[in-house]
Amino acid sequence: MTPMISGLLVGALFGFALQRGRFCMNSAIRDTILLKDTTLLKSVVMAILVAMVGFALLAMGGLIKISPSGFFWGAHLVGGILFGIGMVLAGGCASGITYRIGEGVVSALSAAIGLTIAGTLTMIGFLAPIKDYLQKGTQIWVTTPVEGAEPIKANPTLANIFGLDHALVAIGLAVIIAIIWIVIALKNREEPEKKEKVPLLTAIFSKGWVWWVTGIAIGLVNVLAFYLSTLAKRSYPLGITSGWAGIAKVLIGFETVTDGVATAYKLGWGDYLIIGIILGTFIAALIAREFKIRWPGWKTLGQTFVGGLLMGFGAITSGGCNVGHILSGVPQLGIGSIVGGIAIILGAWFMAYMLFVRPQKT
Amino acid sequence: MATPTKTLNVCGKICPYPDMDTMTTLKKMQKGEVLEVLLDYPLSVERIPRNLKKQGHKLISVEQLSGPNHRMLIEAHGLK
Repeated sequence: MTPMISGLLVGALFGFALQRGRFCMNSAIRDTILLKDTTLLKSVVMAILVAMVGFALLAMGGLIKISPSGFFWGAHLVGGILFGIGMVLAGGCASGITYRIGEGVVSALSAAIGLTIAGTLTMIGFLAPIKDYLQKGTQIWVTTPVEGAEPIKANPTLANIFGLDHALVAIGLAVIIAIIWIVIALKNREEPEKKEKVPLLTAIFSKGWVWWVTGIAIGLVNVLAFYLSTLAKRSYPLGITSGWAGIAKVLIGFETVTDGVATAYKLGWGDYLIIGIILGTFIAALIAREFKIRWPGWKTLGQTFVGGLLMGFGAITSGGCNVGHILSGVPQLGIGSIVGGIAIILGAWFMAYMLFVRPQKT
Repeated sequence: MATPTKTLNVCGKICPYPDMDTMTTLKKMQKGEVLEVLLDYPLSVERIPRNLKKQGHKLISVEQLSGPNHRMLIEAHGLK
């Protein structure tokens, strides 16, 4: 499978699941304080647990190599908090704004344009020095001494900082979280609502999915993403922001110069993933008859664009967005992704409070 | 069929305004008054009914008009 086909395929599956599950981590994080609703958050935790076990099994089988992102606390804090603030303004997380383009949501497109512009400028433009300063100044490695040679530097994870086996910690942690979750769920058990029986095909293609179906589906897509992207020599699970920046690099004709020879940037696996997400969502929305061009007015378009700018700068600075860090990095036990993820949550809660909770109190 | 006292159109609004606007409007209504909400955001079509009960409001009906366009009737609890 070429990187194009495999990126598009995984993207389409991801987009389909996002649309059917109405999966958005902006809502998942924000709704806990705003609406006291944890339905989407449960989908997120489920997706993380499935990926945590799935990645560990693939790594044990030698099919992938666990590759957590770097740990640079300063960049994670600044970038993550700005990203969290941005996604509340944009009305969606990085994957949320990407898939909603396929549903015809114009404000999502404007947010994605903002994210792409700021993300590209932070990656290769005039904002890059700020990112480099924050990353290089605060990076921490786990070093293993080697006799008679340079010590080996690795990005820290919950396993390697204690010198433990990755699969053992990942599967053990997933089991512990699952047990705690089941205990809490049994304590707070409510009478299940009576649901009308619907045929399976209707349940898959026209109704919104139940939270645990969405969580498992997204976790499995992420495991597939890690495997197929490894075959395409990318070796990381799902990610959003760098894919958008990749599309921008092609549009501006970006070239890298090595030994005096200029090579034009070509779309890679992660860039095709973005195109696939939008296509997959479009198909899902068409089947469910949920596609509609939704025009929000200029003021909202401005707000989501600014939100997108903050998200783009934040994600590239922090080394990951909500997908790269929370969905893909946390299951690999990366310390950088855990800190980056917490910073995103703090930023989102702060902005949700300022934008929605505080005005109601006055 | 209940006749709406008030109509709220949140079509095209981004997340979470459909939910927030519905809840704020319901708060200002008298007990027993009916709010009609017109919305086209799939997540809110599922999320609003889920969260109404916590505020004491009662969902009367959700009707699919065409595609993503829905009409929701809600009886206010009257917190005023």
